Amino acid sequence: MHPTIRLVNRNLTISLNPGFVVWQVMFPIVYIFVAGFAYTTLIDSVKLGDVSLDYPAFIASGMIGFNIMNSTLVSGIIIWNDRRHGMFEQILVGPFKRSHYILSNVYTIAIVGLISATLITSIGFPLFFKSTHFNLLTIPFLIFASVVGSILFGSIASIISTRLRSSEGFNVIINTVFLFFAFVSTAFYPAQGTPEPLATGFYLNPLTYLVDIIRAGIFGTFNEFVMLEMIVLVSVAATLFVIAIKLLTKLDL
Amino acid sequence: MSIKSRSLFKSYGDLVAVNGIDLDIGSGKIFGFLGPNGAGKSTTIKLLTTLVPPSRGSIEILGIDAIKNPLDVRKRIGVVLQQPSYEPNLSVEKSLEKYGMMWDVDKKTRKQRTDELIDVFDLGEIRKKKNEDLSIGQRRRVQVAREFMHEMDLLFMDEPTVGLDPSARRNLLDYLKDKAKAGLTIFYTTHVLTEAEYLCDEIAVINKGKILAVDTPDQLKSTFGQEKTIKIHLANKYDDLIGLLLGISGCRIEFDTGTNIIIQSSKAEIVLSQVLSILIENNILIEDLSAMPTTLEEIFLRMVKDTNAPNN
Repeated sequence: MHPTIRLVNRNLTISLNPGFVVWQVMFPIVYIFVAGFAYTTLIDSVKLGDVSLDYPAFIASGMIGFNIMNSTLVSGIIIWNDRRHGMFEQILVGPFKRSHYILSNVYTIAIVGLISATLITSIGFPLFFKSTHFNLLTIPFLIFASVVGSILFGSIASIISTRLRSSEGFNVIINTVFLFFAFVSTAFYPAQGTPEPLATGFYLNPLTYLVDIIRAGIFGTFNEFVMLEMIVLVSVAATLFVIAIKLLTKLDL
Repeated sequence: MSIKSRSLFKSYGDLVAVNGIDLDIGSGKIFGFLGPNGAGKSTTIKLLTTLVPPSRGSIEILGIDAIKNPLDVRKRIGVVLQQPSYEPNLSVEKSLEKYGMMWDVDKKTRKQRTDELIDVFDLGEIRKKKNEDLSIGQRRRVQVAREFMHEMDLLFMDEPTVGLDPSARRNLLDYLKDKAKAGLTIFYTTHVLTEAEYLCDEIAVINKGKILAVDTPDQLKSTFGQEKTIKIHLANKYDDLIGLLLGISGCRIEFDTGTNIIIQSSKAEIVLSQVLSILIENNILIEDLSAMPTTLEEIFLRMVKDTNAPNN
């Protein structure tokens, strides 16, 4: 078996523990079903291009992007955990090159992102079933969003993992990043109608671009703006990926 | 030759961690690497295991150029690093099994070795426990056991017995002796000199990044440890004893609490007979007498002290 595949196997074993799976499934389910239906009394419908969505369908589709971010941030932390528990050095004195280790983390993050997206799409599907506008682009859009989003958020977690040494610092940073990404985005609420500074904040957040692309795929609201968002997302993901790889390559032992 | 290095040098900025080390370690040997904290032991292991590249010098491991072909080297060695390494959320059993998988050991062999190592390292009671729930010593046992999940020709161990209780320590040392008999070469660093004396075929003492001596434990003792220590415990305290013994030459005599005499000399037998004559002549009763051979620890401490001296 190729060394990278062996490391991916190991990464998935340590990542996909029961706690992680429960966190990955329960958290979005609570949002989709509890918040989704509870907020329906406040938010009647959300306008998305020419389509008008009920709030549960809006939040369920947002949760796909949210879960990609959530799971890949957690997977990106593998590097942090490996450094903290001595496994980074142990792996590098084993039958692996540093490139095997880096690639294994990229693949793990992408796999976890895809699994996550599939899981939440399946759970949320009954809610946005009525509004789904299946077309040739739906599945490619979802795969595109899963892979690019995974690489983007996985790279962010990897960068943080390589730069920080103390647990306290790491936790503060990762929680702050999570809070910003999760709640200053269009995952939970639409940008239209929000105060200008908040709407600007939304569009400084890659999760907004990610959920916009996912919704465009699901609800068939693809337009030039979404195209632009895709380009921005790919560019940011590529830049962060290169930075993460460089930092990982130079990571001191 | 399992390990061959020439003029190995590693510096971090102004700090010279390894300063021109030459090593020649034959196959099937247990080679002890002794030195105080910060002597350069762990850096040497990192260099030999290809974890960090040397600033200059050459390294050949199992006949392979370790600088040009580090992966080829790593495929044939095992390494127990000084720092703990573990998968916190895996059980003992699972972490052994997964480690074997990482080394591409087939499933059947992994299962067999996991059971074997759990037995050898006395991990039966904790086999289902997660690593994060283990004590430091238990984790260390798992870390050491794990390394035997795969085949190797050379094993590096950086202070592997830290945190182990005496019985686990002896168990490990005996296991290593058996492995060496079966042909495994072991590069072993430790602070515990009795351990090195018990285990190693050959020992190198390192300080300030330089090797001070390399030899078998017995040869080191005979070369550097000609001086013996004799302890005499007197039945009563004698105030004028110092005056009586001052005339004896070729030795260092220390008086402790007035009833203990410690004599150190390279001609201990001659000095002892002189001391005994004086004690008998003066009717001084001896309660206990012991002659102690020089230990590796004394040699080690002396060597380190000499190299740490300001003019050295």
